[in-house]
Amino acid sequence: MTRRDSMLATLTAALALSALPWLMSDFALALTLTCLMYAGLAVSWAMFCGATNYLSLATAAFFGMGAYVTAWGADGLPYGVAVLLGGLTAAAFAALVGAAVLHLRGAYFAVITFGLGELVRHAITYYEKAYAGTVGRVIAEPPEAIPIYFAVLLLTALAVLAALAVRSSRLGLALRGIGSDEERARTLGVNTRREKIVAFSLSAFFAGALGAAMAVRWTYIDPLTVFNPFIGFQTVLIAMVGGAHTILGPIVSALLFSLLTEFLRLQFPYLFLSLLGLLLILLVLYLPGGLASLIDRWRLGARWRRWKTDA
Amino acid sequence: MAFWFELVATGLITGGIYALVALGLNLQYGLMRIMNISHGEFLMLGAYLTWLGHTVLGVNPLAFLPAVALALFVLGVAVYWLCFRRIVRTAPAVEVIEARSLLVGFGLLFLVQNAAYLMWGADLRGYSFLAEPIEIGGARLMANRLVIFAFAVGASLLLLALLRWTLIGKAVRAMMQSPVGAQLVGIDTRVLHPLVFGLGLAMAGVAGALLSMVYEISPGMGEPYTVTALIVIVLGGLGSALGSLLGGFLLGLVEAFGMHFTSLSLKMLLSYAVLIGVLLARPKGLFAR
Repeated sequence: MTRRDSMLATLTAALALSALPWLMSDFALALTLTCLMYAGLAVSWAMFCGATNYLSLATAAFFGMGAYVTAWGADGLPYGVAVLLGGLTAAAFAALVGAAVLHLRGAYFAVITFGLGELVRHAITYYEKAYAGTVGRVIAEPPEAIPIYFAVLLLTALAVLAALAVRSSRLGLALRGIGSDEERARTLGVNTRREKIVAFSLSAFFAGALGAAMAVRWTYIDPLTVFNPFIGFQTVLIAMVGGAHTILGPIVSALLFSLLTEFLRLQFPYLFLSLLGLLLILLVLYLPGGLASLIDRWRLGARWRRWKTDA
Repeated sequence: MAFWFELVATGLITGGIYALVALGLNLQYGLMRIMNISHGEFLMLGAYLTWLGHTVLGVNPLAFLPAVALALFVLGVAVYWLCFRRIVRTAPAVEVIEARSLLVGFGLLFLVQNAAYLMWGADLRGYSFLAEPIEIGGARLMANRLVIFAFAVGASLLLLALLRWTLIGKAVRAMMQSPVGAQLVGIDTRVLHPLVFGLGLAMAGVAGALLSMVYEISPGMGEPYTVTALIVIVLGGLGSALGSLLGGFLLGLVEAFGMHFTSLSLKMLLSYAVLIGVLLARPKGLFAR
């Protein structure tokens, strides 16, 4: 598919999904919401990390910051503004932090991004305890389910469109250049520092905005819920299981993960997570390119067969 | 005076355990670029083994240490064989090894931790061992804490000596300096990698066994230690064994003093602030030359 086809497909899918609130039960809608959230998180994570091979564990930090913007602004801010502001806060934080840490690579980068998330979480916990006198915050008048659904749907669709746009732009080329060989990219005149910061902030914007949009679902917000490292890990897992260098892969695996989690986790929590771990190990060992590599393999096979019959 | 002594002692005792946990993890990372995020889960297994040995078989936990170390060593070799061998062999670049082994580590974390929940439930378990206070220079310290400190430092020093003076240790150090060069002079990664991975898990198991003598244990106990070990490794420098030892003590002291002079909720904030400060100012670790 060309970029235009993909964008049209995204818009069509978003339009089709926007009819769901009137067709589905509340439970199914909540499930769709979770799917969409993880799809948006995974796609925006892969936008930066898939192309550059940087392993960021900061998603939970961005998500939580967005959620806290909503929580703090719950009294005065309209919902839409809070979502936008949540995204911008996360993006600004990412730009600031990115300028300081994006020269690190590999495990160092993974550790420091994880540490940053925890630092923000503990800082907010401390601040709330010491100055606001609370641990969590109650959102007194949460918006209806339908505006939340539309906000998350819009953000996820925008994340996919942005990922498509980035992929075929100069920025996307630069990011892939950084991913395959950063030194070479720099030698060829890519301003690697600037490109990395821009892409990191863009991906953080979506994580923050999704956090802000989803926060109102919980009605009670405390640092442990919204900065839950599990959100960050799950995002990374979904993107890598799907295939972090693609866009469709993370979406498909977000769908699979959310369904699996919803149906198995509640019934057999420990067994489910054990099996999830086993599945993850097997996938990494035997399908390291993610689910998307199955499609590549299938296409390659088809081409090979065609070539053989032609010859 | 006794007060300061007590504070320093508390810091050093925690630091000793941190050092032991971090040493094993650091060895694995330095040698194989495997960032084993499930390290703490094997610490938890060591703790449960000791608890079972003590409550079911009635063995003295200290006498049980070698058995725990051996069991975790064998388990480590098996885990390496089943999971990491293939990654190291098939990955095209070092960064890919890091990313994939991190994912496999997450998989192991989920698998082992939840298997433990299935088997032993979420209750806190524990037993009492040498829980009587001892007075040294006016400071009161629990006897079991002094014992675990001695054993943690002892095990760490043993590992350092192993690296320093034995042929295997020399091979490990050579491999860390230059993997290609080491293979050229005939060091076999197929033997060395599983061996060192097993050794790392044995260290984690011993640390868990020691912790079970003082604290109550639960299947989720390992995770915070993994995080702390990561901080210690960064403090001491990736791949530096001595750095891990010193970094462990440093973090233990920072925590003890930080907790005393500020508040309990600031403890983790402080650890992470130290971590990020060090990473930004001296990304190669505090003790890098």
